[in-house]
Amino acid sequence: MAASPIIHTEKLGKRFAGHKKGEVVDAVRDLDLEVAKGEIFGLLGPNGAGKTTAMRMLCTLLVPTAGKASVAGFDLTTQAHEIRRHIGYVGQKGGMEQVATGRENLMLHAQLYRMSKAEAARRIDALIGRLKLSTFADRKTETYSGGQRRIFDLASGVINHPELLFLDEPSTGLDPQSRARVWEEVKALHEQGTSIFVTTHYLEEADALCDRVAIVDLGRIVALGTPAELKKQIAGDIITVSYDAPERAEAAVKLLEGNPLVLERHAIEDGHQLYVDKGDEALPVILRTLGQGGAAPKSVHLSRPSLDDVFLKLTGRSMRDTGEEQH
Amino acid sequence: MREMYLIAMNEIRVTVRNPFWAFSGLFQPIIYLLLFGPLLNGVAGVRGFPGGGNAIQFFAPGLLIMNALFGSGFEGFTLRDKLDSGFLERLRVTPISRLSLALGFILQTSLNLVVQSILLLVVSLFFGLRIDPLGALLLLALIVLIGITMASISYRLGLMIREGGILAGIVNTFILPAMILSGIMLPINFGPPLIQAAARIDPFYYAVNASRALIEGHVGDPSVLSALVIFAVLAAVCLAIFIRGMREAVA
Repeated sequence: MAASPIIHTEKLGKRFAGHKKGEVVDAVRDLDLEVAKGEIFGLLGPNGAGKTTAMRMLCTLLVPTAGKASVAGFDLTTQAHEIRRHIGYVGQKGGMEQVATGRENLMLHAQLYRMSKAEAARRIDALIGRLKLSTFADRKTETYSGGQRRIFDLASGVINHPELLFLDEPSTGLDPQSRARVWEEVKALHEQGTSIFVTTHYLEEADALCDRVAIVDLGRIVALGTPAELKKQIAGDIITVSYDAPERAEAAVKLLEGNPLVLERHAIEDGHQLYVDKGDEALPVILRTLGQGGAAPKSVHLSRPSLDDVFLKLTGRSMRDTGEEQH
Repeated sequence: MREMYLIAMNEIRVTVRNPFWAFSGLFQPIIYLLLFGPLLNGVAGVRGFPGGGNAIQFFAPGLLIMNALFGSGFEGFTLRDKLDSGFLERLRVTPISRLSLALGFILQTSLNLVVQSILLLVVSLFFGLRIDPLGALLLLALIVLIGITMASISYRLGLMIREGGILAGIVNTFILPAMILSGIMLPINFGPPLIQAAARIDPFYYAVNASRALIEGHVGDPSVLSALVIFAVLAAVCLAIFIRGMREAVA
């Protein structure tokens, strides 16, 4: 890892007062993180896992109640003001003034970063050009589509050339094209050397964007690594096999019984899922075994495990059926 | 300073773009002038009625205070919107100081009130109001102090209370008795001793008396000094509370 990380946290925590008197909620507990310069780092978890709280602490919107952290080389508790100069932030709600135009919003934000009006105008023109915003830049933001608004939010987030950009659920509520567009721009920023910290509850998003991912659940990190490393925690690959007739499936079960290649087997509607170590090598062997034993499958599908499978394995719950967002 | 100005200008742009902004603020006072003023004319001749029996001299200064009270007392709602839209959050991650942010909102409210008050004074001229120029200037200063006080309280509540209905309830609970006891609508000296005593602890009672004295040009009237002192202190305290609220990381 690089000598001086862009984010470093030690036992960072946030405790909120609960609804009942004397009750406390630990939204984030003992967070130890190190994000390298130039990295896209993702916090992945279901709603309520504490990832938004963690991000809000790191971008100076919430004061931590435990631990310490440095962001962009400055201490989080004593140098919040310095941190704000060096970071960009795109929140879930965006934050554009509805009755002002996109350009006017950007102008206000640019000037709050101490840019002169002329300097700000140049920067805004450049951003509008690069992000292809010119067709709606001078309309009030209340007329924007979700995708248009999100790209403008992104433009606002990078108006000050931040070293580190925070993105809170950047593609939530967007249609697939807009999501692809946001990802494209995030990747372009990454290529220019911007470090990016992103929270998401979309597995595809973490997979598509992030160099490294921390999976969080109930305020704690439960796994940390590259998406590929995390998926490796699930034994190998998954072969999904289906059959024309139930007899064939039964025959197949007998044939595969005790086969050292099959680590686990789960029944599905018209066949089964086989967990194997090396899918590409195991698949032809298994097909041969099934074919020779008279249980030739109707279809075969080889897949790599998803981060959802990782989450399921680590927490015993699926990402989709977890609770409400707390903060 | 520049930051405060930028925030205020942005807010003013937003306010002015609302096609009803002047109208919505002034609608209520003008309705009162049109409908309640003539009613008051009937009782203005009664013995003991202040303002020398002239209803408009009595009523218009009260309306100015009422406009200040209502115009700024509900500013908390605009802050609520800014929290909900993420606008405030976006500003809070820029290097702007919390002080400038708070003062920017207050500056906008104050400027808005000054413009509305001048418009109201001009409208009242057509209803026969006589205005002393120096008194009117001091009155505008008093109105700004009231605006700072009420907007600070309202903004602070807006930061704390997420539910719009509860916010409205709290604000109304305080504003309504404050308005009635101030003697805006009818002279307090008409009331029973209990009401008269209660009025003495309503800061707006002093503001309304001062407003009536100032319109007449009685700059040296004791009510003027007491109202200015009361609201200078209240404005300072409430503003400090609001700024502190802005500094704490809220929502």
